[in-house]
Amino acid sequence: MIEFRDFSLTYPTGSRPALQKIDFIVPRGQICAVVGADGAGKSTLAGVISGVVPHMTGGETTGWARIGSRMLAETPASELVGEVALVMQNPFNQLSGARFSLREEIAFGLENLGVDRAEMVRRVEQVMADLRLTALADLSPYEMSGGQQQLLAIGSALVMRPAVMVLDEPTSQLDAVGAGVVFDALETLRTQGVTVILFEHRMERPARCVDRVLVLDEGRIAADGQPDDVLTDPRLADWGVAPLRYTTAARQAVERGLWEADRPLPVTLEAAAEGFDAALKGARTAGGL
Amino acid sequence: MDMSSHAVGDSPVHRLNPLTKLVFAVTVTVSAFAFTMIWWPPLLFCVAIVPMVIVSGTQRKFFPTFLALWVPVALTVCLMQGFFYPGAHRVVAGIGPLELKYEGLVFATQTALRVMVLMGGFFLLLLTTRPGTMMSAMTQRGMSPKTVYVVSAALQIAPALAGRAQGIMHAQQARGLSVTGLRGRVRALVPMAGPLILGALTDVGDRAVAMETRGFGTTRHCTYLTEVPDSTAQRAARAAMELCALTAVVANVLGVLR
Repeated sequence: MIEFRDFSLTYPTGSRPALQKIDFIVPRGQICAVVGADGAGKSTLAGVISGVVPHMTGGETTGWARIGSRMLAETPASELVGEVALVMQNPFNQLSGARFSLREEIAFGLENLGVDRAEMVRRVEQVMADLRLTALADLSPYEMSGGQQQLLAIGSALVMRPAVMVLDEPTSQLDAVGAGVVFDALETLRTQGVTVILFEHRMERPARCVDRVLVLDEGRIAADGQPDDVLTDPRLADWGVAPLRYTTAARQAVERGLWEADRPLPVTLEAAAEGFDAALKGARTAGGL
Repeated sequence: MDMSSHAVGDSPVHRLNPLTKLVFAVTVTVSAFAFTMIWWPPLLFCVAIVPMVIVSGTQRKFFPTFLALWVPVALTVCLMQGFFYPGAHRVVAGIGPLELKYEGLVFATQTALRVMVLMGGFFLLLLTTRPGTMMSAMTQRGMSPKTVYVVSAALQIAPALAGRAQGIMHAQQARGLSVTGLRGRVRALVPMAGPLILGALTDVGDRAVAMETRGFGTTRHCTYLTEVPDSTAQRAARAAMELCALTAVVANVLGVLR
């Protein structure tokens, strides 16, 4: 479980807090998306959960935050290895630079933790299969495309079998197929009881698989709830988050009287298709078409 | 981007422990430099290195690349020593004010032949050894993981940075920066170096975070994915080669076969 209570953080060079009075609890096994405009505090929050901030960046904190029984203000990233895994935005910078093939790069963290070789081989092969990277196993990480490197960075985190995964825009360089592979992996993590904190800009695809959405606005939690509620909130744009295309289309349909009044606005393609299908059938029944 | 000279294969030479190949390269090099007979380095090359190259099946890659590297070195040594060897007096040929001298050419030939053995031994090692396996072998033999990391990272990140520098140059050229001529190239240094250095510094910060979260720097005993093959026979061979190298050094110090 991840718990933040009245947590604020100000960087040494910051004129205002990067995070302000953050309060939330994420139970074990939940997939929680965090959205917000640039500068809203998403990366800082990701850093705090993974033990990077303030231990490696400096900064003053008030309130407290913990993962399980570990207080994050007292636990640097090096002590959370194996428990919390972080995938950052830029995959290039996550490569160790010291391993000469994808297979070795994925194993790097396990080698540092002293995991038994047979277990290491098993986990590495499993992760490569899950992320469809087996064919690239012997390729140098530096010969891979940005998208492949991003999958590699995710694989390097998954292989550690952490209790908490922090993913900071993990699909930013991936095409639709690659993003699909990542979200399939998230579904697998859910079944394994792994808690996932997903920081994303584009919510169309993650909206299907997340249990909850937090909106950050200028370092504060502006909204916290189920995807259906938060992602259809009319204030979303005011918080710097682009509404989903499906929601926007349905909202325009509402204005034109084409959307059933009692039907909630959709946040997934499936819900949008169902809504427009119902609207079409309704129009046919009424003789409009 | 080619990060290494490694030629993929599964020959007996490829399967040798990298340390065995490293000790072999060091031993033939030390032997080549220990004795002054001019026929000794070519003999070593033909008897020790060439058979290994043939057994490894890398001759098609080995010889063209080796010659491309060694011939310019040998020619440079011959020219420099031929013209400027101190104390030489027997003139072989004259080009204007410069005189090519016999003693210089003899010394240059000997040096070039010794370098041939050195380059041949180490190039064979590079050709038949995956860099990752080499690094694992070094770590498993007790070298500090941090030292091995520095060497590995330098091997990989330097070419990656070169690629980035190329990208920055193209971006700056697209914005009108001229890099033609000496003045243009000098002027282009600042707009090239600025983004490259700042980007590299940012990368260092991010990479430090990534390494921390992946357990680099923990005090736990490391394990290794890459299993480095070794055997009693190879350990014995390494000991024998080390003894040979030591004997060659002692012989050189005592003046035997000079």
